[in-house]
This record gives sequence, structure tokens and C-alpha cells, in this order.
Amino acid sequence: MKLKLIFTTLVTTIFVLISSVTFAIEADQSVKVNETNVEKKEALTAIEYLQLMQKSYKELNYELLYLNSLQNQVEPKQLIHGVIDDQEIAYFRFLNGAMRESLQFSDKISYFEQGSQAYTLQSTHNRSVFANIANFDYNKGQDSYEYIILGKGRIAGKQAIAIRMISKDEYRYSYIVWLDVDSHLPLRLDTLNKSNLILDQVMVVSLLITETVNPWLEKLSLQQLPQLLHLPQVSQQQASQWKVNWLPTGFKVVRNDLHKLVMHENEPVSYIMLNDGIVSVSIYISAKKIALDEKQKIIQRGATVLYTYQRDDIEINIVGEIPIVTAKRLIESVAKVK
Amino acid sequence: MKENNEQLSAIIDHEVVDKQLLDELIANEAQQAQFSRYHLIGDVMRGEAADQFLNIDISQKVMAEINRQPRSAQVSTLDTSVNTTEAQKDSNIISFVKRFSQYAIAASVAGVVVLTSLVTSQPAVENSNRGLEVLNTVPFGGAVAPVSLQATHKQSKQAMKEHNERLEALLKDHQLQLQTQP
Repeated sequence: MKLKLIFTTLVTTIFVLISSVTFAIEADQSVKVNETNVEKKEALTAIEYLQLMQKSYKELNYELLYLNSLQNQVEPKQLIHGVIDDQEIAYFRFLNGAMRESLQFSDKISYFEQGSQAYTLQSTHNRSVFANIANFDYNKGQDSYEYIILGKGRIAGKQAIAIRMISKDEYRYSYIVWLDVDSHLPLRLDTLNKSNLILDQVMVVSLLITETVNPWLEKLSLQQLPQLLHLPQVSQQQASQWKVNWLPTGFKVVRNDLHKLVMHENEPVSYIMLNDGIVSVSIYISAKKIALDEKQKIIQRGATVLYTYQRDDIEINIVGEIPIVTAKRLIESVAKVK
Repeated sequence: MKENNEQLSAIIDHEVVDKQLLDELIANEAQQAQFSRYHLIGDVMRGEAADQFLNIDISQKVMAEINRQPRSAQVSTLDTSVNTTEAQKDSNIISFVKRFSQYAIAASVAGVVVLTSLVTSQPAVENSNRGLEVLNTVPFGGAVAPVSLQATHKQSKQAMKEHNERLEALLKDHQLQLQTQP
């Protein structure tokens, strides 16, 4: 018995040795081949890779199992994406702990959670994992980012290529995007701050691509959705009486209104939302209720910052995935419309 | 009704998966409430229930109470169209609050809601770089105050709690705005 085991190991070792040799030769050859027709095949630039990624993300049928790590906490999650009659459908769930699921289909998103009633919201906005990088306008983004191919690696058993989006200034975070070389689907996304510290990481551990749409999605698409909830109407005509005098490159104001905090005593707030295609930033201006000991308070979790600042009798809060310097400068630029 | 309940419990135990029954469940709110209570009972018995799930009914009552009270002067400064639309959808909003109070809308954004862990998070890395020396976070929970100071300490603690609740609401509103942006 023992002898047999040793023999098997020996054979395997030899086999491995041989195969690695042949692999080395092959690699050598492929390098030569590449050199001869560089322009023809391997000449994809970083931005072309990123654009291929966007296409695959929207058009393929796939299932991702991924880990989201944030300050020493790892959360396993699942995303199933499909296309039914040219319409995207995405099912998401947390894999650990209480059941939390969502389904996005035909401009609606439904949330299901253990212990509370399910509901549906009208939403055209895809906020699934990787959706921000999959919907970004990379040509326009060249004003604020540089794209560089870092190299190749292996993620979730797939050959992957790493592309770095480096912010041109200190007012936004940088990213490293890893793509599957074959399908171009995103496999990993790191959010980095100025000192190259990873603030937030999403890493796929299993990727399954199928020709046809997942039968579970097909079934869900026919299912009756939970009750549709409407947000209290915001008065669109009435813009907030505030403005920001400074915006980081690439950001623009996408919302400016007065609305109520439905989750907090229906308190009215002036609201401004900024967006640069990757992240969104909310600015809340309200009456000061509780005076803080310090004029400002900063809370950070992963890439998300919550910056509170009080001046005179108002309080300004900024929420978003931006560096603190950006939040600080934005707050300083908030002024009343005359 | 009794029979319905039996069917519900059968669904929970995965004994029956009848499409018609499930459709009925989706349509019928009373049955849904029953269904969720059954699940809660199961969770409690297995010791899996998180504390947050146990206050479901209270939150609704509290919200109803708040809505019944006369609106404060501050709220009425907003234009009236907002108030009227809200009045029409009152019932809708109550359930809204109830639901969101338990779920940070965007499932994709991991629990930014847990404010205690937020506050104890390490001070910003950029802190030392740029003359942003005032960025210290507020210490929480861990500090022990001398007994003689307890009264004032308690008061500020209460204020901080309220302040944090408001921040949490802001975080949730941020998620909500992101999801429903045009």
C-alpha cells in the first residue's frame, strides 16, 4: 500500500516536472509569436479592456460569489445576473446571517429581509457590486483618472489582468480593477487612498458564466413583486437655498432639493447630491439641533466618510466615498444662494 | 384560518411548496404578518433572533404615535404641497419607516448603519498629512467618568445618542437617495 503511494507521488512529480518544462517552452514560443504580431492581437489598451468589461457586465449571464472586506470584516455575497428579452435582471443576497436579498428588474428593485415585510422601489439605478465601474464613462473619466495596465495574475481560478485607475488629484480615491482575461468580467476591485492603503475590497471567489439565463432568475422574473412604495414627494420646483462653490473635477450636481428624512421624525433638510460617475456624495444642510463639543466630527468606515460640521446655527453633513480633504473643501464651499 | 396557519407552518418547514399558496401569501397581508411571526418564533427558539428583529411591532406603534402628534413649527415651514402629499400616503410612510429602520436600503453597501463601530473606527489615515489636525473622533462607551461628574456626563451622552441616531438616519437617507436617483 505504502509502496503504491510513493510510486504515485513519484509519477506525479515527474509529470509535473515535465509539464512545467513544456509549459516554459510554450510560454517562450508565445512570447515570440506575440512579438511578431503585437499590433494585431495583444494591443488592447487599458481603456479598451475597461470598455470590454462594461459590455460583458451588462450582456452576459453569470453568477458571482464574492467577498466584501471592510475593516477586518468579511461578508460573503452572491450576485446572479442575466438578460431576459434584452432586459437586465439581477438577484443579490447576503450569504451569511439573516436573509437579505434584492431583485432588480424592469426599473424596479425589491428588497426581502428576514423579519420584516418585503417592499419594492422604483429605481433605474443599478447599484449592484461593480455596477459603478461598469457604468462609468471611461473616455470622459480621463479628465480625472489615468488608466494603467499593472500586470497579470490569477483570481477565482481565472487568468486576470489588473488595471489601475489613478486619480489625478487628491480629491478622489484610486482603484485597481481586475478583469477576467477571457470574459472581461470584473473579478476584483480595490479602493485605495492616497497612501495606497486598501480601504475597501471586493473579490470574486467563484465565477460561473452560462449561455442561457439562470432558471432561478427566469422564475423570479415571472413572480409577483411585493408592494411598491412611493417616497414622499419632494418639491422639485423648490431647490434648496444652498449651493456649493467648489466641485472636484468630474463631479456635477445631480440633485438639489428640499426633502424630509423619513427615517428621522420627518425632519426637513436641504439636499444636494454630487456625482462623478463612480461615487455619489450627499450634502445635507439643516438647522443645528444639538451643539457638538467640537465644531466638526468625522466618521470613517472603509471608503465612506460622514463629515459633520456646525457653523452658526446650521449643521452640514456630507456622506460619500470620498477622501476627507474633499469633504472638508466641499463643506467650506457651501454657501447660501442670494 | 386554522387551516391556513397549518399551511403556513408547512411552508416554513419546507414541507409544502405550493405555488398557489405562495401567491396567496404574497397577496394577503394578514397572512404575511402571521408568516413572519412564525419565523420569528422559530428564530427565537433556535436562539438565532437578533435583537433588532424583536422590536418590529413597537416601531410601527411609535411611528403612528409620532404622526398623530401635532406637527412641530419646524415642519410647517416647508411648503404645503409636501405636507398634503404626505398626508395622503401616510399609511405608506409608516410602513416605510418601519422597514427602513431595520434595513439599510442598499444591500450592496455593507452596514454603514452600525454607528458604534463607525465611531470606534481608526482616525483617518490622511489625518497627519494635511494640517487637518482637528479630525479626532468622539470616544464612546469606553470612557469611565468620575462619579461626581455623572450627571453632566449622562446628559451629554443622551445628546450624543440623539445626534448619532440622526447621523444614522442621514446614512440611510443617503442610500435611499442613491437608489432612487433619476
